[in-house]
Amino acid sequence: MSGDLAYLGLAEAAELIRAKKLSPVEYVTALLARIERDDAKYNTFIALTPERAMTAARAAEAEIAAGRWRGPFHGVPYALKDIIDVEGVATTAHSKILMGNTARRNAVVTERLEAAGGVLLGKLSTHEFAIGGPSFDLPWPPARNPWSRDHFCGGSSSGSGAGLAAGFFPAALGTDTGGSIRNPASMCGITGMKATYGRVSRRGVAPLAFSLDHIGPMTRTVRDNALMLQVIAAHDPGDPGSADEPVPDYRALLGRDVGGLRIGVIRHFYTRDVAGDPEQVEALDAAVKLLAEAGAEVSEIMLPALQDFSACGQIILAAEAYAVHEQWLKERPEDYGARARERLLAGATLRAVDYLQAVRWRLQLRDRVAAAFADIDLGITASSMDPACRIDDDQALAANYWRQARMPFNVTGQPGLVIPAGFSKSGLPLSMQLVGHPFGEAMLYRVAQFYEDATGWTKRHPPELSD
Amino acid sequence: MNEELRDKARALGLDRLTEEHLRQFERATTGMERHLRRLPRGMPVAQEPAHVYRAKGEAP
Repeated sequence: MSGDLAYLGLAEAAELIRAKKLSPVEYVTALLARIERDDAKYNTFIALTPERAMTAARAAEAEIAAGRWRGPFHGVPYALKDIIDVEGVATTAHSKILMGNTARRNAVVTERLEAAGGVLLGKLSTHEFAIGGPSFDLPWPPARNPWSRDHFCGGSSSGSGAGLAAGFFPAALGTDTGGSIRNPASMCGITGMKATYGRVSRRGVAPLAFSLDHIGPMTRTVRDNALMLQVIAAHDPGDPGSADEPVPDYRALLGRDVGGLRIGVIRHFYTRDVAGDPEQVEALDAAVKLLAEAGAEVSEIMLPALQDFSACGQIILAAEAYAVHEQWLKERPEDYGARARERLLAGATLRAVDYLQAVRWRLQLRDRVAAAFADIDLGITASSMDPACRIDDDQALAANYWRQARMPFNVTGQPGLVIPAGFSKSGLPLSMQLVGHPFGEAMLYRVAQFYEDATGWTKRHPPELSD
Repeated sequence: MNEELRDKARALGLDRLTEEHLRQFERATTGMERHLRRLPRGMPVAQEPAHVYRAKGEAP
């Protein structure tokens, strides 16, 4: 198959499909063939839905031929993390606990992607219940990093990140409770958006921790990410956390420069609170320099210590997740993988007062961050402190949970966008995180698009997969 | 495995945990204790936590 189709972006595909220069049927056929050929190396899919995909692709092609183009997602293939419901398809959460759990209706996000004319290719690997992984003791193997099969591809939206890097699809959904969109984005060199809490409905998605859960788009490029968020962002009265805020045009600021923008660099997260890997720190410093030279007004800002956000977030996460899993942990503890079981058991002994104190603390942390953001347009910091570690390095995998600066923005609910920021000497992706004001996703896309155009990092693909 | 840990698990209704599970339980609770030590106490009396409760309930 031509590498041109494997790494075709959503926006480019949409234009070609609209102009009838690319057939959705041929596009989907080509991607399915690539997945069939290569996925055994990367384990990105839990289940493919080829018949459903071909039916949807043929329907899209017929509609477009008849002059009924629905928009940029029409006829475009995508895949879903396997905690997101698709009517008639199993949602396993990559766990023995939910094997054979066929969804009775679509999640709201699935519904919106279908209505936009998207073509579902299948359900993707995840860390078990979006919390514990990578795991070798589950019914399905863990996803592998296309930049190096021996390395961790991040998680929990592991199949989403790995499949994008492998050129299996141009768009996927992930979920993010403590960084699970942004971690695989960092490890796999792709673009992942955790939008503002409440921006995207979570109805029909297996919960991990209600007050921290987010759904978000994962793509290879910034423009593609904005297009996908446009499709899924909406108020949903059926999701108690959903925000009744207007949805802007996320493409509106793309193509604009960064002159005069006020950028706050949260450097202490990756230099003082945790010492980032030198190559990662160097990449962040270079990115900040590039933006400053392009006219942005850059200054350092101080937030509470990274460890405070981590503690607050982990206490809330553990308590809320235990509420979801308590019964299964009592009745079927052996049906969990070791990593998920251990992380979930962390909530067993928490007292109600500890949870409530953490929720009260959360408001203080949110207010302190809001004060620090009052005079800036956006923040920049690390996502991961290190490039991907080996997938068999237990110590480094454990450190992955605290050597990161993602949890602060699950705690505050602000949007966090992770984009590629270079490569290590060993050829593994490096990354940076842009952080916005609540519902300020369009500003993040503006700056990320500028940086992407200036650096071209997203044009690189894993060498072993290049045709 | 020490009996104190097993008793603690039993008291929580976790009586199906194996020896391996109990070791995971111990590591998990030790890790959580580190987070709990950072939890501030003595917050202002009137500071309420974030609510999602609404008296009229959610729309369907």
